[in-house]
Amino acid sequence: MQLGLLFADELRGFYKSKVMIFLWIGMPLIAVLFRFISVETSGQDIPFTLVSTVVVSSLAGTLAAVMLAVFIINEKNRRVYDLFLIRPLKRREIILAKFLAVYLCVAIASFIAVVTGIMVDYVTIGSMSMAALADAGTSLATSLSMIAVSCSAGVLIGVFSPTVLVGAILVIYGGNQVSVIPLVPTMLNLPQATVFTIVLAGALAGVLLAVAVALFERQQF
Amino acid sequence: MEFNHPNPDKFVSLKNLTKRFGNFQALSDISLDIREGEIFGYIGPNGAGKTTTIKILVGLISNFQGEVSIGGYQLPQRKEEAHKLLGYLPQNVAFQEWRTINQALRTFGKLSGLIDTQVEEKIPQVLELLGLLEVRHKKITQLSGGMNQKVGLAQALLHEPKLLVLDEPLGGLDPYSRYQFKEIIRKLRQKGTTIIFSSHILSDVQDVADRIGIINRGRIKKIGTLDDLKARFKTKKTVEVLLVSKTEKLNGLSKIKNVIGVDQLSPSKVLVNLEANADEAQAVFDIAEYIVKLKIPIRGINVLEPSLDQIYLNYVQEEEK
Repeated sequence: MQLGLLFADELRGFYKSKVMIFLWIGMPLIAVLFRFISVETSGQDIPFTLVSTVVVSSLAGTLAAVMLAVFIINEKNRRVYDLFLIRPLKRREIILAKFLAVYLCVAIASFIAVVTGIMVDYVTIGSMSMAALADAGTSLATSLSMIAVSCSAGVLIGVFSPTVLVGAILVIYGGNQVSVIPLVPTMLNLPQATVFTIVLAGALAGVLLAVAVALFERQQF
Repeated sequence: MEFNHPNPDKFVSLKNLTKRFGNFQALSDISLDIREGEIFGYIGPNGAGKTTTIKILVGLISNFQGEVSIGGYQLPQRKEEAHKLLGYLPQNVAFQEWRTINQALRTFGKLSGLIDTQVEEKIPQVLELLGLLEVRHKKITQLSGGMNQKVGLAQALLHEPKLLVLDEPLGGLDPYSRYQFKEIIRKLRQKGTTIIFSSHILSDVQDVADRIGIINRGRIKKIGTLDDLKARFKTKKTVEVLLVSKTEKLNGLSKIKNVIGVDQLSPSKVLVNLEANADEAQAVFDIAEYIVKLKIPIRGINVLEPSLDQIYLNYVQEEEK
């Protein structure tokens, strides 16, 4: 079982990459800015935190997904995987390690962004209600759900796309749309919407990853 | 690593190996056995099937017909066991861009089954051997092509594999690095490592290989030692005559028995081509006698051995016809 080793390795490579540095700084910054921007929701009853979450997680998810797809396509085309595949490990471990490393980094960045938002609220308002904290928790759960779907879509697109350009276009136009699917229960104001969102995102991410792994297992290098 | 193979003459065994990519027949019915501890040179023109054979052997291509085994372990069924015996340097070795040499070797060493202490012990040894110790903390993106190739060899050697597969390993290396690579290959043979070595630089194969296999259009054409190949191909034999100054008198050499042609390569060098089955000693005697009779001043007479390049070229040209 080499997943742990590969995961630690990918994490080491990813957390200090340029995109990740942008996310470490950019996501909390965007969360702060959102507290001072009024958003037009066309009269619909959409909570402000949800709008903020959609924008922040969509941006982070898209960047993470593009990066995952580009990494995988580049490494595939440059034949980086040859040296891994001739060693006693399972092919799926390569893909899963990459997904987990990127997801963990972006999840931590999202957490920092939400905590930053709470702190800004606390400083500007002077106190925090339980309802506001619950809102923030919901916001974080929604954000992580969307990012999980984005990342798994990025992995799938990376596995089957022949070129970086095709991969990037598919992630931006396709992966981004797919990542919004977990928001449907919230949009429909279903009871226990957050739980539905998490379950839906988990299932969707699982299916996308399973397809990616199946394709990667079949690829001839 | 313990392994169990029934026959050391078949440490690597390919039987009726066939591979097709769409309409393209990459390999046709290849059968080949490689002995434990031998260096096997694998040569052929571009697109002949060398890399496809190697990729099947190292497990990168698992969809093929025929039987392939390493150390008695059948592929692809027992790939994991076979992989523990294997070190591989691909034709264009590539690493993830964020890695330093040290990080890359740590990862590949551990993935090959070495524990932390072994990795820490082996990395400096291998880097020292390849002259990379000073740059071990450099990022791989900062390395030249030749150094990158050396890192590729380092990752293949780290876990002391029983079988080392090198696909065009000397491309892009300077002459000293090529010499170093060949010395390392010879040392590994002394330790009993089995090595498969494909190359376009035929003189390099000639220098290190115990046996050579020639592949063309997906079929193995000949396998043998260099002497076997020379004998089987019956290449023309050549005698080189080194002159003091240019002379026209040597044209008469073409009348000597078994001489099929005379080429004046330069004012001071003439090549006398003999029939493939000519008696060399008799031919040299006849040529020397002719020269002495005409009192032509010379600096020497040498019998030229056909190189692997000549054998290979003759063979490929014959195939094209």
